[in-house]
Amino acid sequence: MSTLLITHLACLEHLTPAGHPERPDRLRAIERALAHERFPSLVRVEAPAASLETIALCHPMSYITAIRDATPKEGLLGLDADTTLSPGSFEAALRAAGGAVHAVDEVMAGRAANAFVATRPPGHHTETARPMGFCLFNNAAIAARHAQKKHGIERAAVVDFDVHHGNGSQDIFWSDRTVMYGSTHQMPLYPGTGAASERGEHNTVVNAPLRPGDGGEEFRAAFETVVLPRLRDFRPDLIVISAGFDAHMRDPLANLNLVEGDFDWVTRKLMEVADASAGGRVVSVLEGGYDLQGLSNSVAAHVAALMQAR
Amino acid sequence: MAENTHSDVNRLPFERAIEELESIVKRLEEGKVPLEESVAIYERGEALKRRCEELLRQAEARVEKITLDAAGKPTGTEPLDVT
Repeated sequence: MSTLLITHLACLEHLTPAGHPERPDRLRAIERALAHERFPSLVRVEAPAASLETIALCHPMSYITAIRDATPKEGLLGLDADTTLSPGSFEAALRAAGGAVHAVDEVMAGRAANAFVATRPPGHHTETARPMGFCLFNNAAIAARHAQKKHGIERAAVVDFDVHHGNGSQDIFWSDRTVMYGSTHQMPLYPGTGAASERGEHNTVVNAPLRPGDGGEEFRAAFETVVLPRLRDFRPDLIVISAGFDAHMRDPLANLNLVEGDFDWVTRKLMEVADASAGGRVVSVLEGGYDLQGLSNSVAAHVAALMQAR
Repeated sequence: MAENTHSDVNRLPFERAIEELESIVKRLEEGKVPLEESVAIYERGEALKRRCEELLRQAEARVEKITLDAAGKPTGTEPLDVT
């Protein structure tokens, strides 16, 4: 079965101020990397726009319409020190959420083995009703909830290896015993959450913070000893990956030292768990990653691993 | 990079360095630092931490000297170096 690459040109139209790290060139770099002859069998699909009702699985409708109504006709509007709206942002955000939702539909229906959703803006910092850290809607969280609501799965897992803690996903799933949220991330760093003592109301939040300067060895140990055992025990019916590549050693926004091989490794490990309990179903959604070379090479390693699905 | 960006740190007295370091730790823990600046502020904190450690090491060396002198010789003959 195939691996899907889901993206949309509208995601290039979410603009940020000059010099901002979360920029359209990120997607162009990924597109160039995946145009390589290593990826001939990757099935390319355009991301549909998510309906507002689907986004409302994780965010109040009043929040969604506030973002829509705040979208400027021209220029940029700052929502916080990091997060901006441009005229194309709302459409891009609908496609980013919609791409993740479509990936779930295709993977749940068995039409694809797994999928990588290369869209922006990213999502994992968006809390229930608060945009932050470059994020507008929590794409991965919406995908997990959609899989439960539309496809009737019992347990979903969101696994997040972005270098920043996914405070938004943790917030959304804090009291939800049917979704496990597991994360490795650098501490101390933005947004300040993600201590191992933060476990959620039903002990389904699993945080494995890493120290600045840590590399592949510590990253793999955190997965082997903390995240993966809990994930295996949870027996998810679907794994959604919040795939940020800013733990790469080249990344300007953090101090971890992962290389492409580490992203290949973690992808294969997560696929093994998915094989055991979820029929191999993995939906991976792009989060951060701000060094274009580190990002595109790491995405290539990640997608190449996804394409090894049985 | 850190050496160039944070050269002023090497001239800070201990009290100022620890005060700024504590405020950085508090801001990082409270999530009040923008994502884009978070790593720069963390690195400033690292430079401040190194400065504090260096000053503590220097102070420790001075204390050791006094202790040794006091143990081996009659007191009052060795001038105390506090500069």
